[in-house]
Amino acid sequence: MLKEEDLRELDQLCAGAKEYTEFERNYVLLPQLRLPAGCTPAAVDALLCLSARDGYPTRLYFAQQVASRNGLNWNAQNVPVLQRNWFAYSWSGVLNDGRPIEVLANHLKALR
Amino acid sequence: MTDRFSRQSFLGEESEALFRATRAGIAGLGGGGSHIAQQLAHVGVGGFVLFDPDFSDFPNLNRTVGATFADAASKLPKVLVAERMIRGINPYSVVWPIQAEWQTDFPALRACDVVFGCIDGFGGRAQLEESCRRAMIPLIDIGMDVHEGEPYSISGQVVVSMPGRPCFKCVGFIREKDLDDEGRRYGEAGGNPQVIWPNGVLASTAVALFVQLIVPWCRIHPGSAFIGYDGDAFTLEHDGRLAVAEKQECGHFGAIGDLGDPLWEPETRTRE
Amino acid sequence: MNIHFKLTAALLDEISTDLRRPHPFAAERAAFIGCKASACRGGILVLAHTYIPLRDDCYADDPRFGCAFNADAMRAAMQFALTNDASMFHVHLHEHSGPPWFSRPDLRESRRFIPDFWNVKPGLPHGTLVLSADAAAGLCWYARREKPIRIAQITVVGFPMQYLGRSR
Repeated sequence: MLKEEDLRELDQLCAGAKEYTEFERNYVLLPQLRLPAGCTPAAVDALLCLSARDGYPTRLYFAQQVASRNGLNWNAQNVPVLQRNWFAYSWSGVLNDGRPIEVLANHLKALR
Repeated sequence: MTDRFSRQSFLGEESEALFRATRAGIAGLGGGGSHIAQQLAHVGVGGFVLFDPDFSDFPNLNRTVGATFADAASKLPKVLVAERMIRGINPYSVVWPIQAEWQTDFPALRACDVVFGCIDGFGGRAQLEESCRRAMIPLIDIGMDVHEGEPYSISGQVVVSMPGRPCFKCVGFIREKDLDDEGRRYGEAGGNPQVIWPNGVLASTAVALFVQLIVPWCRIHPGSAFIGYDGDAFTLEHDGRLAVAEKQECGHFGAIGDLGDPLWEPETRTRE
Repeated sequence: MNIHFKLTAALLDEISTDLRRPHPFAAERAAFIGCKASACRGGILVLAHTYIPLRDDCYADDPRFGCAFNADAMRAAMQFALTNDASMFHVHLHEHSGPPWFSRPDLRESRRFIPDFWNVKPGLPHGTLVLSADAAAGLCWYARREKPIRIAQITVVGFPMQYLGRSR
């Protein structure tokens, strides 16, 4: 369980972060997460997985593929989590060793 | 019982009605799924939900039951090949052909009584199992491999994931290491060798387990199933890992939050 | 709108065993089942998870009813619904074979207390089940509709699959 203050800190970037657990993994739903400049769309529903899965220590999923300045390898397509489908680019090595907003920021670096 | 099913009357007086009332989901209408669709239609299953985004073509004509040369030439979607085959056997069946991956239509999946998993990859299987567990649907999974070597060898398995019983991880069919390795792979793997006869063995075994699930005609009531196929020795054997797993409760599924649709927004206003 | 109620064989066994236990004065036992729900093509799935038996001291000694429960029982059920974001289904047992149905007092009381669950979980389906030795029936209140919907299918998931109540 995340601290309430950590969840609310995420609200700086989205419209109300909410925590979920599914099959023993921890996720934070980030509705309309505001993305770095140059991304299309500018905001999208996202899901931050704070547990290890599929070879990644943490992962950031998006409700759709995002166009950005960098060419990214979107190697996760239509991954069902919480009965919705998500997409993710390959960006490894982001450990769950800081506040959730720090983990999120490390993932968003790929889009800058 | 009608004439149509008189030769399977040993399955019981109610069997015809039970099969007719059952809706079977098949994820993947390739080598394994096409066999299963054909057999279920013959048995008398009344409802089908078919998921596959792919097309009939010449490379898969060697194993797709129901597909013709003309289908491969015209690249007919696999779900339409299967639909035509099912309706040709049982014109009264209700078929929902969904030319997409199963995860693009959760409501259709949830409407199934039983789901057959005929898809590639551990990740895909794990995801299908999770969604079936969320909807409390028994999942019967089949898969085969042709292993490179001198000579080549063929193996496969049929695994049943029954809600409340051991899951794929419990029996060691899917391991975190397999999911991690697959998740890190970049891009698509190449086309794996696939042939029709092992798919036929595995599909028939899966259908036998399904029949036993709906109309238990013999005294064997497996709580679950994990059957390994040795294509070189021509044998099917129960995998001993299931018996070990059945002594413990499944720790991977079981929380109340693992059921249903956590992001569902139900109606809040009356329409009347 | 079809409502399909599902429970595992193990849960049905737990429910049936507990509801058959004698009570000092109540003719019948009752309980609640905490469930989750989701939309499916053609309707809704209700998926049973947690059996919540009524404590012996939650029964009210009222000769007008085979089983009556007090406000403590309802509070506990409401709390479960709130904590777990759950749909709540009342359940009791009629000791006979064949399709059961609700008595007039069952229906009258259900209409009164089942919609109260919308005070804690508005919008979720809530309802009531009655079991017999080999069948079941149920009613579901959904979307704040005054009239309940008869549950179209009650499936026990296991080897073998059991269809306790089906109108498909």
